Amino acid sequence: MTPPTATPATAPTTAPTQATVVDRIDRVAGDVVAVTLRGTEGPLATWEPGAHIDLRLPNWLTRQYSLCGDPADRDTYRVAVRHDRLSRGGSEYVHRFLRPGRPLPVSLPRNHFPLLPAPRYLFVAGGIGITPVLPMLRAAVRAGVPAGLLYVGPSPDVMPFAAELCAEYGTVVRVVATRQEGRPDLGALAAGLDEDTLVYCCGPAPLLAAAAGAFPARRLYTERFRPSARTFGPDTAFEVVCRGSGRTVPVAADESMLDALTHAGHPLPAGCREGVCGSCELAVARGEIEHRDDIGAPAGRMYPCVSRARSPRLVVDL
Amino acid sequence: MTHTATRIRSVGPQEVRARLGLPDAMVASKKTDRLDDHFRRFIAHSPFLTMATADAEGRADCSPRGDYPGFVKVLDDRTLAVPDRPGNKIADSFGNLAENDGVGLLFLVPGMRETLRVNGRAHVTDEPDVLARMEAEGRRPVLAVVVEVAEVYFHCGRALIRSRLWDPASRALADEMPSVGEVFTEQYGLDVPPEVIERKLEDGYRKLY
Repeated sequence: MTPPTATPATAPTTAPTQATVVDRIDRVAGDVVAVTLRGTEGPLATWEPGAHIDLRLPNWLTRQYSLCGDPADRDTYRVAVRHDRLSRGGSEYVHRFLRPGRPLPVSLPRNHFPLLPAPRYLFVAGGIGITPVLPMLRAAVRAGVPAGLLYVGPSPDVMPFAAELCAEYGTVVRVVATRQEGRPDLGALAAGLDEDTLVYCCGPAPLLAAAAGAFPARRLYTERFRPSARTFGPDTAFEVVCRGSGRTVPVAADESMLDALTHAGHPLPAGCREGVCGSCELAVARGEIEHRDDIGAPAGRMYPCVSRARSPRLVVDL
Repeated sequence: MTHTATRIRSVGPQEVRARLGLPDAMVASKKTDRLDDHFRRFIAHSPFLTMATADAEGRADCSPRGDYPGFVKVLDDRTLAVPDRPGNKIADSFGNLAENDGVGLLFLVPGMRETLRVNGRAHVTDEPDVLARMEAEGRRPVLAVVVEVAEVYFHCGRALIRSRLWDPASRALADEMPSVGEVFTEQYGLDVPPEVIERKLEDGYRKLY
């Protein structure tokens, strides 16, 4: 019988991983657990506030979570995971089936949400969007840079780390529970802000939209959980030439470049498949890329889960 | 002309029971109708199951379903949902379920000798909240089979032990099979090289979702 060549996109990839073991799982809010991962092969890779890692879960799914621990701690990574009631299998797995003691490979940290130097900061976090903001606030306070945090959520019991933040940072932190207080007035907040303040916002789409309406774009940095609603031209077929293997892979109009490459035997890490996580990042040597991600790909790089080609072919490093 | 099967002696249920003896009490009592944490964990790690259905006349059918582990979603402790991925579009299971809602599932976890059995009643759904949880490779299934659990239990591992199903050496059995291209060209008397059929099949296999 012919050996099978068709490969589903959940196939293992050769992307570099770090070996960790689940050290502990703590409930930090109604439907949020914090997972502490301990490196098992020496110090873990360094990271800066705003970075995230991919967890390669035992059910073959790859999911991205912001690092919310202390960058100075090289022994452990900490992430927080909200149980999504409409889970496609990632957060449900972490909540129901992940156990301390289990090995869990993770990616190297990636940072699409870096904290740039500034004389003062305002952090705006919604719900689980607090995770990348935690190390940012800590870094700013440690460096003695004036900073404030507006932390928005339905009620304090479902807002992870709310009590700890208030206890540790006092008046720097303002928690707004929308069920009692309604949504905060970001416009009023923006009006009272110093000109040189950088604003970092992470949270659900309505909060990001409100922030985009309130703060000047050049001073606002955001990170999304889900892609923004945008429209693109019709999908067309193109070819991908893999420099390493010398193979040419056709991408049909009705499939993603990521799926075409994976099915052709070039599996790439695949996380969100929505152009927000960056796990499938690929170097492009030649050809014109049509970027459709929400990250802002660096020059010569693309996210083939959503992005396609404007030219008939792309030459990639595979 | 009589089929061979009808000429072979049939044994009635009492006689079967007399030959086998009675199951021990633990085995008989292990069936439940609730998906507890152990059953859920098995389903969350199972990438493959078989689904048995039958039409109104009792004509039976059994089909394979497979995906990433946990592709079957437990909706609550009495209900699970199996996504319908692109297949041969014959849809025997759907046709049967329209006439007869009885269903039998057998879940496998690679490397595990025990299997999980779920029997119950099923219907086909297009409920968006159910389908949203079953997205794979960015694609949402169009339909899913919702199963209301009547019986769930772990089935002992003897069949898998005897079959050496997970023994890597067992894979050599596949070497003794002709290619699917050769089989099809002979079975259908096709006048094309087997490689053409195989290439067509492989092309089809590229579309998994």
